[in-house]
Amino acid sequence: MSALFRPRANTFFRIALVVILGGAAGTVGGMMLYARTPFGTRQFAELQQPIQFDHRHHVTDDNIDCRYCHQTVERSNTAGIPATSLCMNCHSQIWNRSPLLDKVRESYFTGRTIEWMRVHRLPDFVYFNHSIHVNKGIGCETCHGRVDQMPAIQQVAPLTMQWCLDCHRDPAPHLRPREAVTEMDYRPEKDQAVLGPELARKYDVHSRTSCTTCHR
Amino acid sequence: MGLPIYGQAARPPGDDRGQRPLWRSLEELAAGRDEGRSPEFAPGADSPPDALSRRSFLQLLGATLAFAGLEACAPPREKIYPFVRQPAGLVPGQAVHYATAASLSGYGVGLLVRSNEGRPTKVEGNPDHPASLGGVGPFQQALLLDLYDPSRARGFQKRGRQLSYRGTLLELSQLAKGHEADGGARLRFLLEPSSSPLQAELRRRILERFPKARFTAWDPLSDDAARDGGRIAFGAPLEARPQLARADVILALDDDFLGFGPEQLRLMREYAARRVQGQELNRLYVAEPGLSVTGMNADHHLRMRSAEVVGFARAVAARLASKHGLASLAPLAEGARATPAASAVADDLARARGRSAVLCGPRQPAAVHALAHALNGALGNAGSTVRYLKPVLNDLSTGPAGLAALAAEVKAGKVDTLVVTAANPVYSAPADLDLEALLEHVPNALYLTLHDDETAEACSWVLAASHPYEQWGDTRGPDGTVSLVQPLIAPLFESMGEVDLLSAFLDQADLGARRQLQELWRQRRGGAGFDHDFERWLAAGLVPGTASPAEAPAPRTAAVAQALRDLPPAGAGGLEVGFVPDYKACDGRFAANAWLQELPHPVSKMTWDNAAYLSPATAEKLQLVNGDLVEIQLAGRAVTAPVWIQPGHADDALTLPLGYGRRAGGPVAKGAGFDAGRLRRSDAPWFAAGAALRKLGKRHPFAVTQTHDSMEGRPLALDFGAAEWQRGKGELEEHRGDPASIMPAMHAYEQEQYRWGMAVDLSRCTGCSACVVACQSENNIPVVGKDQVERRREMHWLRIDRYYQGAAADPQVALQPVACQHCETAPCEYVCPVNATVHSDEGLNEMVYNRCVGTRYCSNNCPYKVRRFNFLDYRGEMAPTEKMLMNPEVTVRTRGVMEKCTYCVQRIERARIEARVAGHPIREQDLKSACQQACPAEAIVFGNLNDPQARVTRLHHDERRYDLLHELGTKPRTAYLARLRNPNPDLA
Repeated sequence: MSALFRPRANTFFRIALVVILGGAAGTVGGMMLYARTPFGTRQFAELQQPIQFDHRHHVTDDNIDCRYCHQTVERSNTAGIPATSLCMNCHSQIWNRSPLLDKVRESYFTGRTIEWMRVHRLPDFVYFNHSIHVNKGIGCETCHGRVDQMPAIQQVAPLTMQWCLDCHRDPAPHLRPREAVTEMDYRPEKDQAVLGPELARKYDVHSRTSCTTCHR
Repeated sequence: MGLPIYGQAARPPGDDRGQRPLWRSLEELAAGRDEGRSPEFAPGADSPPDALSRRSFLQLLGATLAFAGLEACAPPREKIYPFVRQPAGLVPGQAVHYATAASLSGYGVGLLVRSNEGRPTKVEGNPDHPASLGGVGPFQQALLLDLYDPSRARGFQKRGRQLSYRGTLLELSQLAKGHEADGGARLRFLLEPSSSPLQAELRRRILERFPKARFTAWDPLSDDAARDGGRIAFGAPLEARPQLARADVILALDDDFLGFGPEQLRLMREYAARRVQGQELNRLYVAEPGLSVTGMNADHHLRMRSAEVVGFARAVAARLASKHGLASLAPLAEGARATPAASAVADDLARARGRSAVLCGPRQPAAVHALAHALNGALGNAGSTVRYLKPVLNDLSTGPAGLAALAAEVKAGKVDTLVVTAANPVYSAPADLDLEALLEHVPNALYLTLHDDETAEACSWVLAASHPYEQWGDTRGPDGTVSLVQPLIAPLFESMGEVDLLSAFLDQADLGARRQLQELWRQRRGGAGFDHDFERWLAAGLVPGTASPAEAPAPRTAAVAQALRDLPPAGAGGLEVGFVPDYKACDGRFAANAWLQELPHPVSKMTWDNAAYLSPATAEKLQLVNGDLVEIQLAGRAVTAPVWIQPGHADDALTLPLGYGRRAGGPVAKGAGFDAGRLRRSDAPWFAAGAALRKLGKRHPFAVTQTHDSMEGRPLALDFGAAEWQRGKGELEEHRGDPASIMPAMHAYEQEQYRWGMAVDLSRCTGCSACVVACQSENNIPVVGKDQVERRREMHWLRIDRYYQGAAADPQVALQPVACQHCETAPCEYVCPVNATVHSDEGLNEMVYNRCVGTRYCSNNCPYKVRRFNFLDYRGEMAPTEKMLMNPEVTVRTRGVMEKCTYCVQRIERARIEARVAGHPIREQDLKSACQQACPAEAIVFGNLNDPQARVTRLHHDERRYDLLHELGTKPRTAYLARLRNPNPDLA
């Protein structure tokens, strides 16, 4: 009686095995990898905002401090998106006929809010708090990047849990003096390896890694 | 008996504590411990949800996996909506507390309501308000759910025609004008009782315009008898306000002062403060027909039918007159039959002259109140433990008498316009008045209502009422203190307040309630700086210096004696039927509130139902078991009700809680329980004898949490008599301290800055259940419905276990709030395959929802059975207003996720960030758990065990401290303090 399978069948079987198992693992692994690429984390994506607000101009040319608009960053969990009335503090005087600011004036006079697109989004089960980070010497730039060079705001940090934990486990390299929190293109006065631990002591930095620090 | 429990020492011979078996249900007691033990799992506990079988679930799971990748391609982008003009002082992300007040039966309680970005999300007590002292009851908290109820009444209707707000005011103005000609002779108002000075002012002005109009107040839970008792005893309608801080002996005559009433929160605080060692314990006697919250806490629960209470009180008076020389009481004692209990109580009261208090509940007739006044007077308590205050309500009579007079006028066709703001009078009025039929004779019956209820169906005009948290106004506490009521949010639906409606009859509705309120108080307390004062009163929640001064009246014994003689005789045989306000539905006004519907009844642990409560002996005589449907007949009327056997209930009596059996009022209210009010008559609103009972042979299923999560045969809720405490306190040593272990210490928590812990003082806990509602509100806990509770799937993170001990007829009750114990060596953590429950460095047993895959191993391994699993998507699609209720600091859990008490970790983290930004450690006053903050008795204390000065640390080192299931070695962070009882040795 001849063999049911020819020797070639062994090879086919091995290939099929690799394709099935490897494909399954590859699919899962690929999806996990994808979630960590800038496509998955949505880094560097440029969003169409209702108004062409240019941070470059406001930060660099006008030298406006971040906290003039993001007022609650030192007091609350949210940094705060400025109210239309705050825009009008200046724009009732300057560029008050610019067509680029039509929507700002429309919002101010109709009382309808400006619908901004959210760029930095954390999942609903993450409770991030700006005030504690800013008060312990984490600069805006550390997470939000060189906002002074962005024509439109984009997310530069991956905002993954791994990224959060990297800093929470060792915050010293990222600390800067409180006075310099909103500074862009910040350069430490002395070696960060010395300054970092010094500031950590000064500001009593105890970054926590318990789950409920962020998840409640 | 079962096997001895590991780690638990045998009790020495002669120790009788072991002879008092703990039992959970009457079936269990009757059958003996082993046979009658309720099954571990409820029928249906393992059955799949109705909609989806396991097979189709797996199919869907496969499809979900297959398509999950596709969905990840394009999750929606969120939008940000900033303010156009940011309100001054508002910091997005920071909650603000506003002081306001809520009224029930016309009496205000000061509150602080938390507002997140303009949404009220949590109700706390106002520590500065004398009727709250920082505590808050279930009703005030659950009002918040009503605010967001999507089935609330909305808009204005006149005979089915929709009206705009303007149109309504116009129509009302014309209606009012029509009544001007005859001076309002055919204009009547039926109002919710109120103590509001603003309402009083509006009424005065309405009477100026319509001199012949009349106002009637209706409260199905009226306390008229108390004022009438004052009239008899003092010649003035004074109300007795006890001061329990100084009372050593308390006799409550059918008075549920710990469970219900305008002064519940204050009295609970004062009572509980006298239940801990280190001072003289107070002693509480409760004479009542049922088993109330107050009865559960009594040192001696003296069960008797409602009509027998007066005889008991007279027997006490007789003993005081004959044995203790209080001759002034002699005329009150005529015909009293001495009982050992009455004599012992009298002896005890006499020993504590000037330091005792006799309290009488609103269910008892006026003559009994007068008798209590006489007793307090003779014992020297007046002015010491009992103060007498002038009534604060705008109407001295809020009971059936006024309503009956109004009904007679309507029947005679003398009323053209009836303005109703009372809560659902068609449902709550005594059955003999038949208000529903009468309202058809009123051409213009205006009804201002929060819900489309029975009365709305009978009235020709239905006007949606603004919620109490949406209105301006004022109210007075039971002691007279005025609170300004400020809205937390603009009305969510088109609606108007009572002030607007009354103002419409003055053509002044345009003014708005805030302006009216301000003008009134400017007149009363005007002068320079008024605007500043007004803002200060709003911020503080009360107007200083408005409390009533105490009166010093002398009781007139002869009048009291005459009133007692005039009391109708105890009357016909048969069963006595008694009506009580329900702890959840109240008089029906909260029947549409799902939080309260699902709150386990403090005594019977029943949810979504009421029942006819009767004693075990009566049930045996009538051959009834729990859930049997019976027809109760009383004076020609009948209702069908399921029975529930209540240990400690008086024999030959039925207790029927009001507020259920609603025929309208929204999907939650309808269909739950039976309407006991159908048996109520205006001449006997609280109890009546001569009822007959017929068994129908059908049964009613109850959703009761009583036999859940059984922890049987173990020393759980420990208590000691005051006398045996010194001898027996050594026993507690075996229930605390470090258990022997071969495992190395897991973590040096002593080195951490914070070590969170809780202490629950069982001596203080009264079982009122305010903490359960507080937890539900703070932590976004869903309501699951009767069907799911029957399958034991209720979601409350905090439950209050209630155990009976001793004889079924007259048991002692032990209460124990149980939430996650945050064990240092937590059994749940070892078994989680995905590390979804882990331990924090500060000792919290953390639950990480986004890791949980729902194996439920943790719940299986939890000896305290405090973990709750989302078997179904209990939230479902939430209405937009329901989403506004959610606490933004707590994740809204989805289906398939385990959850449990977190020690309010969101409050810890919030306090931590605020303290660290300010540069100081978290201080004790910075942080309270939700249950602790709500507890009127201060039974729950939370804090940092590494702070030697903290209250929680001192309680953890208290000699009454013990750990629940200590022998398991779980090292719980929640400590219990054993309860002390103070029985009278003469009654032993």
